[in-house]
Amino acid sequence: MWLWYDWRSAAVADDTGLIHDSESWDGWNSISAVVSRLELMANSALIPEAKKLAQRFPDAKIRAHGDNDLPAADWPLPSDEALAALDSASLRMSEMGVDAAAGDKDRRLEHLLRASDELRSSLVTMEARLVEWVGLFLPKLRFEDDREGVIEGVTKVGSIQELADLFEISAPEEGPTSEEWNVIQSWGQATSDSSVRLVSIEESIKELVNDYLPSACLLLGPMLAARLCVEAHGRARLARLPSGTVQILGAEKAFFNHLKNGDLPPKHGHIFMHPWISRSPHWVRGKISRLVASKTSIAVRCDHFGGETWSEEAIAEIAQRVETIKLEHPSPPRR
Amino acid sequence: MASRGPRRLTWSALLEGRTIWTRNAVVGTSVYGERRRRFKGIEHRRWDPTRSKLAAALVRAHGNKERLLPERGESILYLGAGHGTTISHLHDLICGERGEEGGRIIAVDLSPRCLRDLNHLASTRPGILPILADARMHSRWGMMLPHKINWMLQDVSQAGQAAMFLEAAHRCLASGGTALLSLKAASERWSDEGEKALFVAVEEELEQGGLIVEEVLNLHGLQDNHRMFVTRMP
Repeated sequence: MWLWYDWRSAAVADDTGLIHDSESWDGWNSISAVVSRLELMANSALIPEAKKLAQRFPDAKIRAHGDNDLPAADWPLPSDEALAALDSASLRMSEMGVDAAAGDKDRRLEHLLRASDELRSSLVTMEARLVEWVGLFLPKLRFEDDREGVIEGVTKVGSIQELADLFEISAPEEGPTSEEWNVIQSWGQATSDSSVRLVSIEESIKELVNDYLPSACLLLGPMLAARLCVEAHGRARLARLPSGTVQILGAEKAFFNHLKNGDLPPKHGHIFMHPWISRSPHWVRGKISRLVASKTSIAVRCDHFGGETWSEEAIAEIAQRVETIKLEHPSPPRR
Repeated sequence: MASRGPRRLTWSALLEGRTIWTRNAVVGTSVYGERRRRFKGIEHRRWDPTRSKLAAALVRAHGNKERLLPERGESILYLGAGHGTTISHLHDLICGERGEEGGRIIAVDLSPRCLRDLNHLASTRPGILPILADARMHSRWGMMLPHKINWMLQDVSQAGQAAMFLEAAHRCLASGGTALLSLKAASERWSDEGEKALFVAVEEELEQGGLIVEEVLNLHGLQDNHRMFVTRMP
């Protein structure tokens, strides 16, 4: 005996294809009802009609429509009207699926992080241009220590003369025309707007990472955790990467040069941003990045697979181990 | 003197020199920026062989090219639908204006980004049925095909393409039906013997899996590192 079912009907037939019993659902006029049926089937669950028949014929082997085990039989296939309802329901379902993709935090994090990268690179260029520009007219101005002060000053005052007064230096003999000054000032305004926008992007990355990768965020800081997650193409994949790969994510060029030409392998990739590594002497960086990478793997696994979120104490313990490594290797190894 | 005008491939497809045109089902619009042109007053869209592997296969096929195409009004299965470039031309071929030819295209893809475009396409082209699912998950799309079909195409970039293709073909293809497999060499595990050995191995796998491999079209130049396997269900 065989129990056949599709989204609408179920039927029981013997090996010769003779139908013994069948049940059909006729509520398919409502698209939303069809959608919930399709969702049921997508989860490989049985439709109610099939369950009913399975109780009546407990020995029948249950197969979904299209399975090659089934004998040829006159199964109760949907009518053209029912099929049209199915078509509209499937369109609705794929629209719902696309809407649900907005909840994908990997995608959201990627947009945020790439936006912050792009904005930062343009901000640095704009800032450098502004400082050089103002410096052309006010050669006495020493702005190396206070670039932000220069940007702020430009947006506040009304002319180059006032800017000179603000920084208490002598006014230039040759100044910009008023039209030219307006250009400089609006450039300064755009620069300061960009830096405000950058801060708000980073705030929102922090918020998202804190929620999405809490343990990794505590261990690495939000920006580095976000970077690793995006470079690994999502949290699910990062959680499955071996920690050796996590350690050199972002150092692909050096790594492939190592494989190809036998150059020295890279000690760290993006993970170098971590102050434990970048602020340590070079001879212990490899050891520390190995430690941080392996802890990162575990932290991300805790976050992804629903483990316990790490506490400050756990991080402090790792920090202690980093200190121990540094103490054990106080001076560079002898050649 | 013999006419040098376009040659008719099917009711909706024309071959002019080496360029393929399909009768536009939504007059006045392009789907992906392709050229449009009128032949005898009927608007056609250019089917770009560098954008669509099926078009590339048509360009490369010798003899009667129409054997690669589905019939008008059919239900077909397309695994790995992508952004809908090929789908839109298949719609021209089997569904026609406002879907009045009655064809259905079951378009399966697992990327929400692609489905966004496909859903948009489906809104102006009834007959396209986008499904957001892994092509291997038959429970997601199997119920869309109450009867066996005569035409399917698979163009996914996942490892194990041949095994997926065989499973889908055995599930839904009628005897005598055409199944096309566009194989991307770069998606498969690389062996030392290189690309040629890979294509030979796939051909053997398909034959052993019970399909008749009628021809293997090299799409090089139009779609690099791709082969189109034209198979038939015995």
